[in-house]
Amino acid sequence: MHILLIAWEAFPISDRGAIGIGASFYLVAFLVGMLTLREKKPAINSLIFVLLGAGFLMQFFGLNIRGAQIKACPLGNTFEITQFITWSLVMLFFIIGPVFRVRLLGFFTAGLAALLSGGSLIFPGLDSPYPPGLFGGNPWIELHAALAIFSYGVFAIVALVSAMFLIQQHGLKTKQFKGVYQILPSVQQLDTIAQRLNITGVVMLSLALIFGAVFWVGNPELVPFFKLTVTCLVWAGYLTVAFLRIQKKLVTRRHAIAAIILFLLALASLWPVQSARNSDATAIRPSSHSLAQ
Amino acid sequence: MSEALQSLFVLGSTHHEAPIELREQFALNDQDVVNFQKTLLQLPSIKECLIVNTCNRLEVYGLADSPEIEDLIRAQLCDQNGIDRSLFDTHSFWRTNLDVLQHALEVSSGLDSQMVGETEILRQMKGAYALAKENKCTGTVLNRLFEKSFQASKSARTQTGITRGQVSIGNVAVDLASRIFGKIKRSRVLLLGSGEVGEKTAQALKSRGVDDITVSSRTFENAHALAHELGGAALEFDNFQAQLPHFDIVISSTAAPGSILNVEAVRAIMNQRPERPLFLIDLALPRDVDPAVDQVENVYLYNLDDLSKIANENLEQRRQQIEEARKILKSHAWTLWLQLRRRTLLGDS
Repeated sequence: MHILLIAWEAFPISDRGAIGIGASFYLVAFLVGMLTLREKKPAINSLIFVLLGAGFLMQFFGLNIRGAQIKACPLGNTFEITQFITWSLVMLFFIIGPVFRVRLLGFFTAGLAALLSGGSLIFPGLDSPYPPGLFGGNPWIELHAALAIFSYGVFAIVALVSAMFLIQQHGLKTKQFKGVYQILPSVQQLDTIAQRLNITGVVMLSLALIFGAVFWVGNPELVPFFKLTVTCLVWAGYLTVAFLRIQKKLVTRRHAIAAIILFLLALASLWPVQSARNSDATAIRPSSHSLAQ
Repeated sequence: MSEALQSLFVLGSTHHEAPIELREQFALNDQDVVNFQKTLLQLPSIKECLIVNTCNRLEVYGLADSPEIEDLIRAQLCDQNGIDRSLFDTHSFWRTNLDVLQHALEVSSGLDSQMVGETEILRQMKGAYALAKENKCTGTVLNRLFEKSFQASKSARTQTGITRGQVSIGNVAVDLASRIFGKIKRSRVLLLGSGEVGEKTAQALKSRGVDDITVSSRTFENAHALAHELGGAALEFDNFQAQLPHFDIVISSTAAPGSILNVEAVRAIMNQRPERPLFLIDLALPRDVDPAVDQVENVYLYNLDDLSKIANENLEQRRQQIEEARKILKSHAWTLWLQLRRRTLLGDS
């Protein structure tokens, strides 16, 4: 953190500028992967890994600048949450990639990271201002937010792995033998990873909701009903998928499709949830202050 | 010096010149090879010689004092091994000098093989070289030629795509199994019928580490014999459907007149193992597995045509790389040729 601040003083750059550079690194990593696939050359995994690492650091730098400015964890609007999910996604890639040795995961991670990070930069409306001290300095709610965002990162990886599964399965079913199909991991490996990660994500989101509930019980007026409902729906959706999977009632292809749809719904719900939260926070600001005091 | 180099030659007959029926007549056994090499060396004009003898080629490499040696070598080869001279003359080739170098390099790289890019030929060339060297039939020139050809072969294989993609049914099936299961070592394989292609496919899987192979055939003795050969177990044919849920890969090559596996049976199997994929390889004609089985979730059905199509596409891809590989080998051949001339190796040997 200290090093980052020194770096910032030496090379002054805005938070959005640093995040933009990070998104560019993600995009370049994706394009490098795409080019090597098109040219049928061996994937330059190390280069993609380095580019993702550079993007990850720049994004981290940008989020730190934003955090230093607002003196809190920057999770106050859709832009910040999307950036945090992207950052978690890339961090998880660095953990999962070497552990499971999933070929092409770096390429797919770079694509989704560029899309999410770059996409949220393109729409300035997503980076709407919000009142300071949104979390009121409560450690439970900060833990809740961090865990919830991290679980969304896990679900992002699950969606990526599921997409890779569907591509490989399509290749096998339609007797495709060239290009990306030859390089993608096996359907069984992808299916197993998706199942394990989905359960991990559900556990993390459940913990996030438990910590959130501790805060909610003490401060019910600070949690908008719409946010509570949507969050519980997303959790219930993932919990159902995990349960059905364990029961072997929702497997392979249908499990992959469900994981992708759920992640898209979870992402799509961010903006309305944040809008509802910000308008409620503005409305109850005075009481929030008095509670904090 | 350049005069001396004109005596490097290769006389041969390969799948390009002769159909299999003739290659069978031209083929030598190991002892014939050793004897013929010794006979050649006894000829006063022959300084070095080496014979490459495989199912697809018979090639005699040599170094002679004079370029006028062709007729003598042909006569000696045919007389000693009972080969019809006129047949051999019309189905063989004779090359000299730089062409010999280029040819040897192309053969060892698999460019001249029926299955372009196959690596077995390199092993055979190394074997032929080791045998000739052991019998003191080679000298400085052929030693250098063969050692360089092995190096050049590596360059051509790594710098081009001539070895990319599998070109045999068995290896294509192994690649597909890897795309379905990842590590196939733990996969359980059931071989139905004792057809040759099925057996080869099972052997390809075994060569990649699969050690759980069960064989089931209408004639239990055949199943037992093949299971013994593959290091697996035999299963009564009447019982195979009940045991199917325990297998991951099923290779079917029976002589049954119709389907032995239909959609209902496969659905019932998958209900017992919804998470684990099932790879069905139908190598029988008429087909053993109802094509509609492919629609069942988590089941991957490939028949003989599917596998052949993939193998042929890969072979075509390899063929497209031939010219690129040939360019690399030409540069190696030319460098070797210059080295041989510069060091006056032929004159010294």
